[in-house]
Amino acid sequence: MKVLLFGLIAEKAGASEIDVQGSSTGELRQALTGRIVGLDRMMYAIAVDRRIVHEDIPLTGSEEIAVLPPFAGG
Amino acid sequence: MSATKQHKVRDIFVEGPIDPDFVGESIAKHATRHDIGAHEIFLGQVRGDEVDGKPVQAIAYTAYRDMALERMTAIREEAFARWPSMTCLHVHHSLGTIKTGELCFMVLASAPHRQAAREAVAWVVDRVKSDLPIFGKELLPDSTHAWKVNR
Repeated sequence: MKVLLFGLIAEKAGASEIDVQGSSTGELRQALTGRIVGLDRMMYAIAVDRRIVHEDIPLTGSEEIAVLPPFAGG
Repeated sequence: MSATKQHKVRDIFVEGPIDPDFVGESIAKHATRHDIGAHEIFLGQVRGDEVDGKPVQAIAYTAYRDMALERMTAIREEAFARWPSMTCLHVHHSLGTIKTGELCFMVLASAPHRQAAREAVAWVVDRVKSDLPIFGKELLPDSTHAWKVNR
């Protein structure tokens, strides 16, 4: 599935989106760690359909997924 | 319900810095609203923090736009629920490169009396900083950079 990347994480990945497979947010985190060097040491949140998800939830593949580094607005 | 209280999705983002003249114009537009007795305003300015001994020269802002606007709509709705007397609320945030000393964020709340306007602005500013997926790349001399994190 397509995963949107932002800020520091997009910079580390060298892309603003990445194609990763996972049937849950937990699997997605593992897959992303394998693809983006240093992600395991970075602070980030996963947004599913534009809402931050802390728990491990199943994914169908049709959701809008984004990986978000710490916010810096204001 | 007045037109200003309808909770449609508004685009808060502006490309480039917020012009101080725009701030003045925003206030002036409320002159015809005679139910307003108080405006409270917060303006965020890009600060020249030192990062590793180097001064921040500008911040390049990007955002996860769709999520930010969705979150902002929810914040607006909650603000109007918490302060029902509030007449209107205007939020603007810059995207792109904003130099140190330029304005990047504006929250303007208007109400019949000062208390609602004051409290709403303080609350909305905090929520925008904590909830909106906006990212800031601090540009340093020598073409290096650091990523800003809200505390």
